[in-house]
Amino acid sequence: MTKRTRTALLVSAVVVALILAALLLLPRRKPSAFAPEQLSHGDETGGRIAEFIKVKIFFITETSPAMSPVYREIEVPEIREELYRKFVSLLLAGGEGRIVPVPSGAQLRSLHYLVGKEMLILDFNELLAASFPGGTTAEMEFIYFMVDNICYNFREIKKVKFLIGGNESKTLAGHVDLEKPFFPDFSWLKDE
Amino acid sequence: MKNSIKAGTFLVAFLVAPLLLASMVIDFRSFDHEGYTRVVLQSERSFTYKVQDQPGRLEVRIAGRADFPARSKAVPNSVLLERVTCEYQGNESVITVHFKGGAAIKKNFVLEDPFRVVFDLVRSELPAAVPPRTDGAVSADEKKPDPPKENPPAVPPRSDGRRGTGTPDVPVSQDREAVPPRSDEAVPPRPKPIETICIDPGHGGEDFGAIGRSKLKEKDVTLKIAFKLKKLIESKTGLRVIMTRDKDSEVSLNSRASIANNQLAQMFVSIHANSSFRKSAYGSETFFVSLQATDPEALELAQKENQNQENPGETIQNDELKMILWNMAQTEHIRESSKLAEFIQNELNELLGTRNRGVKQAPFRVLMRTAMPAVLIETVFISNAAEEKKLLSDEFLDKIASAIYNGISKFIYYYGSLVK
Repeated sequence: MTKRTRTALLVSAVVVALILAALLLLPRRKPSAFAPEQLSHGDETGGRIAEFIKVKIFFITETSPAMSPVYREIEVPEIREELYRKFVSLLLAGGEGRIVPVPSGAQLRSLHYLVGKEMLILDFNELLAASFPGGTTAEMEFIYFMVDNICYNFREIKKVKFLIGGNESKTLAGHVDLEKPFFPDFSWLKDE
Repeated sequence: MKNSIKAGTFLVAFLVAPLLLASMVIDFRSFDHEGYTRVVLQSERSFTYKVQDQPGRLEVRIAGRADFPARSKAVPNSVLLERVTCEYQGNESVITVHFKGGAAIKKNFVLEDPFRVVFDLVRSELPAAVPPRTDGAVSADEKKPDPPKENPPAVPPRSDGRRGTGTPDVPVSQDREAVPPRSDEAVPPRPKPIETICIDPGHGGEDFGAIGRSKLKEKDVTLKIAFKLKKLIESKTGLRVIMTRDKDSEVSLNSRASIANNQLAQMFVSIHANSSFRKSAYGSETFFVSLQATDPEALELAQKENQNQENPGETIQNDELKMILWNMAQTEHIRESSKLAEFIQNELNELLGTRNRGVKQAPFRVLMRTAMPAVLIETVFISNAAEEKKLLSDEFLDKIASAIYNGISKFIYYYGSLVK
């Protein structure tokens, strides 16, 4: 066996071993998160190069309760929380044929990311509760629309907590406990 | 040739190494608490497991190869446990906890970061071992009674000879805070036959609940169904029925749970009409409380487990204990709640002929504080024009009440078999 053959064999063995190790060691219970694609667009004047990320947003539709994805691009700001804010704005903006399970008039007041707790706090205005149509399903549609989309696109965020008018609220419309943060439930998502 | 052998050895080593690395290291520890013993299996990775609660031992079957500290290890100074062993059977690792006498699982749950499977064990009488049958048939003793096909026979009246009137024996106070389960009740008392059922008509007063296109309000629908259900239960079973509201009034979610707890209800049925942002959404579904990591139960239990790990002998402060016990109130009844939800949902499917959205779990605030089997029923969608129209019909509301009643009756029958 030549030195070259031996090296090739060794390299293949290492590759196989690494793949096997990765398959066996990766936790299987947790769904894989989406890694936003990094994009760069030069502006027309040839000046600054803007950094963008491509995100995958899931919306419910009238024909399916499971949320199906569309792609959007966000210009990456310097402050990370500003990126999250832009992302939430995209969620609230919706798209053609897509249902945004958020009552009209509800707006994001502020947003805070607690690094240590890996938690994003979303503070909505009072209209979120005041205009909420009621119903358990509607509450869960709103909660998991926000939580799943955020945690799916930003893997550093593990949970989301909602505030209304700057305060903790017991429920949105009398059903699901809103005082505790929510972990994602990706069973709401229908991937391609 | 020598070179080929060397290369082959390298290849085998590289292929076997990750497999060795992948075996899970599982730590075992146990603590004695007042009234129960906690067993914890901890691993850096999550794993799937099956539990077999057998006379004299607890078997935990883990998929894959578990790296356990010892094949057989004594558990010194434990009230309940004698030793723990680990063996491999095919692709499974079997960790067996041997008891000193009879013991039973009171609670089993999973905690994250790090991954832990926790068992709370209580002393129990050691049942006479039943030799396994070789023909695969189930012995008469092993058979669980099947729920009746039709409406089950009426449950006998209360032991004091009274029939339920719907009027609570004790004035219902909505202000009084309900008493959490007592801390010395670590070993759950034997369940009593069901005598009192609490019906909770969702929303009320200024809280309209969901509103349909024709302005039908959820709070009115739920109250109507609740009255019909109450009448059915009282007339057919003689059980005592209490309601969290019997008029168009606003009752807080905590007060609803308090009313049920204070009145020692043994079943809590919350009635609702659903709504969705999708106007086409339709069907019925029944919920019981979820124990996912978002729940205070799981988080508090985690906290408690962590504390015990650090200071096994430390007594938990009163307020904290009270909070944990409160949050555990529904945990105690999760299995029965699931069964109750299943019985009711089956009946709703059969009687209403609407879409079966199934039995689901969610962290419902009103259910979390109830210390009894508890469910929340989303009858049909008031936000769906066709289903809203149905809700306007008294006949349809009768059907809903009958379906819920049938489910409750089947649960009572099932619960009776647990009590015997």
